[in-house]
Amino acid sequence: MTADASAPEPAAPGGPGGRPKKPRRKPLTLVVVVGLVLWTWFTGRQVGFDLTTFIDLWTNPLWQKFWPIPWEWVLDRGNVIDPLIETFQIAVVATVVGCGLALPVSFAMSRLTSPNGGTYWVTRVVMNIVRAVPDLFWAKILVTAIGIGAFAGTWALSIFSLAVMVKLFSETIDGADPRPLEAARAAGGRHVPSVRAGVLPTVLPSYVAYSLYIFELNIRASIVLGLVGAGGIGRVVEAQRQYFRFGRILGILLIIFVVVFVIEQISVALRRRLV
Amino acid sequence: MIELKNVSVTYRGGVKALRNLDLTIDDGEFVVVVGLSGAGKSTLLRVLNGLVPATEGSAKVDGIEVVGASNATLRQVRSRIGMIFQTFNLAERTTVLNNVLMGRLAMVPSWRSTFGLWPAADREIAMQALERVGIVEKTYVRASNLSGGQQQRVGIARALAQQPTLMLADEPVAALDPVTSRQVMGDLARINSDLGITTLINLHFLDLAQEYGRRLIGLRDGELVFDGDIADVDDDTFREIYGRSITAGDVLADTDT
Repeated sequence: MTADASAPEPAAPGGPGGRPKKPRRKPLTLVVVVGLVLWTWFTGRQVGFDLTTFIDLWTNPLWQKFWPIPWEWVLDRGNVIDPLIETFQIAVVATVVGCGLALPVSFAMSRLTSPNGGTYWVTRVVMNIVRAVPDLFWAKILVTAIGIGAFAGTWALSIFSLAVMVKLFSETIDGADPRPLEAARAAGGRHVPSVRAGVLPTVLPSYVAYSLYIFELNIRASIVLGLVGAGGIGRVVEAQRQYFRFGRILGILLIIFVVVFVIEQISVALRRRLV
Repeated sequence: MIELKNVSVTYRGGVKALRNLDLTIDDGEFVVVVGLSGAGKSTLLRVLNGLVPATEGSAKVDGIEVVGASNATLRQVRSRIGMIFQTFNLAERTTVLNNVLMGRLAMVPSWRSTFGLWPAADREIAMQALERVGIVEKTYVRASNLSGGQQQRVGIARALAQQPTLMLADEPVAALDPVTSRQVMGDLARINSDLGITTLINLHFLDLAQEYGRRLIGLRDGELVFDGDIADVDDDTFREIYGRSITAGDVLADTDT
């Protein structure tokens, strides 16, 4: 191990050199904690955050308008179920496209596996720019550029999936065990095959787990994206809200809750089996 | 044939790991390197395959200069040097076979190895390597499910799969129990005599060094302080290399196996 040579072990007690001195504790932790507490208090005051407003919210008469739920409208296929299926389809395509692209990009963006400094910085900067633009804004831009509908939503979510996945996964690669990679290099492997042989097996379970997580995120996000005209169930929710049909909205939300819950359970079960 | 001339290595931060080392090793030799932790044993091995660049001097393996070599040259040199690690360095989450195939990386086109489309001939070489270390029955087992001794044999098979002319073993038995240690050392000695592969092994157990070594090299603070036949070695030699008297921690014992 290189640590062997770069950081020689301290001499044995009583041996030549004697015992090393105990390193002094750094006061940094305390400074950071105190700093965070002060900062939170200060910023809370700046934005006018207080808890009483939140409690008053619950006595608002708006909530009574959510009852009763018109079930015959909610359960009609064309009203809710079909747009919900569209939402599901958007999420599937976006996850596959986003996570697929994220695989090579993540390797390029990790200190451990990047082929060279240039690739590392270019991918890092580009992905940071992509991530700096919120998903809702991507959807708005794309709806403006290619028109209202599921197509724009799918693109927006693909970009969003890519950005999130690359962030999560490249950091996992950073933390991966470097020793198999050293072995692959020592065998004279080129860069990409060495990474494939030495690093991919270690991080693949995380990749699968993150992809399933991104899929869950996409289901929820594609509902939100519908609000800006990017297709799916979100568009229905927005239309009903504009006409103050809050009973219908509650019905839709309940169905969404059931669907998201079921998908999450399947995803958890899959993850347990694959990872 | 290995030729080191005036090799020095200084790590960032100023630690001098090797100082002005001169060393020649002929084909087929079985050399044991001893020295305390931090004496430069690991650095010496890694200079030979360029994993650690020498800051000074010249290091030639089979006539090819490693110091300052291009990436392509380094890969070519490394492809003929098998390396065995103290902590095995296996990709534990994949099969034994995939680990051994890692030894074929330099000989297989990148597009094939990247997508795992290993040629049948290379799979055959990998299987033969596993047969030679006697664990071919574990070919499709996940590496993490093997014992330490078995994992190290996979490490040896991976090095063998390179069909190397030189084997570098960095404390190959430090993570193993005495009985397994002797089995692994026996494997390495047998491979050396059967296949004539030049072998360089870092050890810190003196009795193992005396038992299996033929030529002994001693390092102290990055300097070569002993180089000679193992038959000429006694406790005084080790005292000279270690700079202190020999203790129970320096021997593996359990010799009655």
